[in-house]
Amino acid sequence: MTDASATVTTQNVSGGRSLLYHVILCGVSLLMLYPLLWMLASSFKPDDEIFGNASLWPETFTIDAYIRGWTGLTVSFGTFFWNSLVISVLSVIGNVFSCSLAAYAFARLKFPLKNFWFALMLGTLMLPYHVTLIPQYVLFLNLDWVNTFLPLVVPKFLAADAFFIFLLYQFFRGIPRELDEAAIIDGAGPWRIFWSVMLPLSVPALATAAIFTFIWTWDDFFGPLIYLNDASQYTVQLGLRTFVDSTGKSDWSALFAMSVVALIPVLLFFVVFQRLLIEGIATTGLKG
Amino acid sequence: MTTTAQIPLTISEPEKRSRPRGGLSRTLVSYSFLAPWLIGFLGLTLGPTLASLYLSFTNFDLLQDPQFIGTANYERIVTNDVKFWHSMQVTFAYVVMAVPLKLAFALGLAMVLNRGIAGLPLYRALFYLPSLLGASVAIAVLWRQLFAKDGLVNVALALFGIDGPSWISDPNYSLYTLVLLSIWQFGSPMIIFLAGLRQIPPDVYEAASIDGATKVQQFVKITLPLLTPVIFFNGIVQTIDAFKAFTPAFIISEGTGGPIDSTLFYTLYLYQEGFAYFRMGYASALAWILLIIIACFTAFSFLTSRYWVHYND
Amino acid sequence: MTHDLNRRTLLKAALGSAGLSALGSLPAFAQDARIRLYWWGSKERADRTLKAVSLYQERNPSVKIDGETLAWGDYWPRLATQAAGRNAPDLIQMDYRYVAEYARRGALMPLDEFLGKSLDIGDFDKASLDSCKVDGKLYGINIGNNSNALIYNKAAFQKAGVAEPIDVTWDKFFELAAAVTKAHNGEYYGTSDASAEEVAFENWLRQRGKALYTEDGKLGLNEKDAADWFAMWAKARETKACPPADLQALDKNNIETNLLTQGRAACAFNHSNQYVGYQVLNKNPLGITMYPQGAGPNPGHYLKPSMMWSIYARSKVAEPAVKFANFTVKDVDGAKLLGVERGVPASPKIREAVAAELDAQGKLVVDFISHVTPKVGPIPPAPPKGAGEIQTMLRRISEQVGFGRLSTADGGKQYVSEAQAILSRA
Repeated sequence: MTDASATVTTQNVSGGRSLLYHVILCGVSLLMLYPLLWMLASSFKPDDEIFGNASLWPETFTIDAYIRGWTGLTVSFGTFFWNSLVISVLSVIGNVFSCSLAAYAFARLKFPLKNFWFALMLGTLMLPYHVTLIPQYVLFLNLDWVNTFLPLVVPKFLAADAFFIFLLYQFFRGIPRELDEAAIIDGAGPWRIFWSVMLPLSVPALATAAIFTFIWTWDDFFGPLIYLNDASQYTVQLGLRTFVDSTGKSDWSALFAMSVVALIPVLLFFVVFQRLLIEGIATTGLKG
Repeated sequence: MTTTAQIPLTISEPEKRSRPRGGLSRTLVSYSFLAPWLIGFLGLTLGPTLASLYLSFTNFDLLQDPQFIGTANYERIVTNDVKFWHSMQVTFAYVVMAVPLKLAFALGLAMVLNRGIAGLPLYRALFYLPSLLGASVAIAVLWRQLFAKDGLVNVALALFGIDGPSWISDPNYSLYTLVLLSIWQFGSPMIIFLAGLRQIPPDVYEAASIDGATKVQQFVKITLPLLTPVIFFNGIVQTIDAFKAFTPAFIISEGTGGPIDSTLFYTLYLYQEGFAYFRMGYASALAWILLIIIACFTAFSFLTSRYWVHYND
Repeated sequence: MTHDLNRRTLLKAALGSAGLSALGSLPAFAQDARIRLYWWGSKERADRTLKAVSLYQERNPSVKIDGETLAWGDYWPRLATQAAGRNAPDLIQMDYRYVAEYARRGALMPLDEFLGKSLDIGDFDKASLDSCKVDGKLYGINIGNNSNALIYNKAAFQKAGVAEPIDVTWDKFFELAAAVTKAHNGEYYGTSDASAEEVAFENWLRQRGKALYTEDGKLGLNEKDAADWFAMWAKARETKACPPADLQALDKNNIETNLLTQGRAACAFNHSNQYVGYQVLNKNPLGITMYPQGAGPNPGHYLKPSMMWSIYARSKVAEPAVKFANFTVKDVDGAKLLGVERGVPASPKIREAVAAELDAQGKLVVDFISHVTPKVGPIPPAPPKGAGEIQTMLRRISEQVGFGRLSTADGGKQYVSEAQAILSRA
């Protein structure tokens, strides 16, 4: 925040300043990058070197862990990737779709009980999930959904994560209301305003929601742990946890190797979608 | 809650006038937008939530049927549970330290990244990296190595002649390592800030620089006010998350909350009660007390928001 | 006895293979059974278990076994959730620490009615059977025995020029450990601080004729016992036999954070079946021996099941599940596939057959159990409800003493008063 005072008055930064920025950013990047380097190093170490030896450079260099990790379990890691991908992509679609609808209703429309529902919606953010886990399990068991992807995916299509409703709600409210009014004068109803005014103007927010949904679903461990029984249905996070058993013989280097591999899809997703982040009002050149 | 009531009249008036249809069909259209959430809420969320509320008034050991015991759980929590007060204290300390620091860090870097310099996508990805790693087992191992007595952090501090303690295993400092972990994973609020910054029309700045406003003035007069909806959002969400923080303490202390309960977060205590000691009724009561605390905080934030959050509508 | 047994087994094997061929040719007779099998453990355990499963399915085509495996830490929340939803797996790998918790809450099926029928474990010694009993009923099938084991870095003791800590008294043990620390200039300690380890505490209590709990589920020790325990370790910290508290607190009660694995101390107080897990993460060759001994004749060690098979109380396929469990502990082929990875088999005949095919590390563990067996005492009664909480509490108090926030005497007092509060609440 202190940089604000040191910057020049144009949006684009000149040469000398730019160098300064790069120095700062590179420094921060290094702090961010260290864990990845460390994970990479550990994945190339034999197991008996990981804990006793903190050096970033392996004494003995081996790629065994990648081969062992990918093929070693009874179910190949490829299956876990596929499962995670299916669940994550469906979650992104469901979440962005259902949450933006609800957010629009709360942000722009008037209807009875609106404040009541809004408060309840926020309330669902506040209860620790540990205590609803068992009743929810019983519910899904009765629906006969346990041991399928349904408990992990269907709630996303029903906007069960209030975080995203709230997020989009805030962004929708940031869009100038004159734009809706112009559309209303043109005779547009709420659905058309939603599709042709709100959504196009909210690309950064929608991209944010998509990125978070993908990453959080991909990283989610507890949901799959409770609802998926068969190894053939396991997600990447569950697969990773099967390498290490703290009471017995574990394969730590395989854990690190597969953790590195598991980062690739999320990183790719992030890189692709972050381009949408920087679009929006600033680049579409909207004039109020 | 109250936010929706604060729409400036001048703007909501024309909307009312231009509505062509009557009240009922308007309500129906509104509810059609709300339908997916409403179905999910009534069908999937409400039942388990009410069930946990009921369980908080019972003795429920997971394996046998719950027995109704009235408010006994709540009474015990308030009158006879040192761990409740202790874990509450740990959690409040965590919230107070982690949330403002993380938000300041996220906002600062989002502003730096919102400029036209080369390699921005790369930096953004790098800054988001720690958040991508989530709270994995690997992070737990790494954190314990970094913050041990002979870890990298102390090696760095030794360059400045500082002889650091064993941060992660000393009960006086272990909570700070979790605060640092939280700050280090500033990616999500940063992205949200960034999206918010991108929504500020550039012509506002252009007008301001023509008027001769300095960068600081621009930040205070333009950026901050226009960003308040996003700051408000990040503040609320991060605070709720910090109150409910579980995974970092769980993985780094292996579920113990140690050393000497110095990282015994409220939800970690609740989890131990419910799943390790088979007292799910008691854990549910703990959870509902937390809900009430968070709800009070959130309501308060919404009440004050009308004085400092500026929406375009 | 053995003669009789052999004949019976032979007969059974003959019947089994006859049954197999009959089933193979007449599948219509078979009652289809689908068993959900659940265990925690590493990949090696999964491989071994699934091999046993497929051999069993080959021999019993009417039975289908679905294996579900997780790591220890994730295993219990899922089991608790599924049990709460009345949907637990049929055959559950159970831990000695949890069996009473589950059995007393009615989640497990008593197995006494299967004894001598589908559960043919008559040749298990009394201790191996009793250790799976809760309140007089059998709730588990012993998969393998283990015992307390001190696992140590041989090279560290060699470097100090002192003897390895094999079957020594506590006094001698701390003396050796201090010598190791000295030989490493205080940068590497002779032993980790085990004052927080309930297994070590229990072993030590038994040596002085006490116990964690009495037969009727009361506390089996007094304030002085606990205070003496804390004092013994406080002295070890003073003489630098074990590390200071801020180093010790890095230990999160698992193999990878134990100071032995971290390369910070030479001894770990653990169980014999974890020896292999330690060796995988340690470069130096590790030794395995008994915990230090008391001055008197009371044995601290006892044999206990490292894990057992239990049947879910609501299982609809209890009988076939018991049969499969029996296959893993009493059928030579099945037991060989499991090896000693889950502990040393309780059946003498199976132990012999399995031992014949072990690698060096496995042999070391079997030899250790043989070495310990004549020296063990009786197994303590199943711990009362609340024991798990007391175990966590011991760790906290030991850390409070270690960090100097409590005197050893106050530590003893607090242990007893908190433990009694927990027991009276449970």
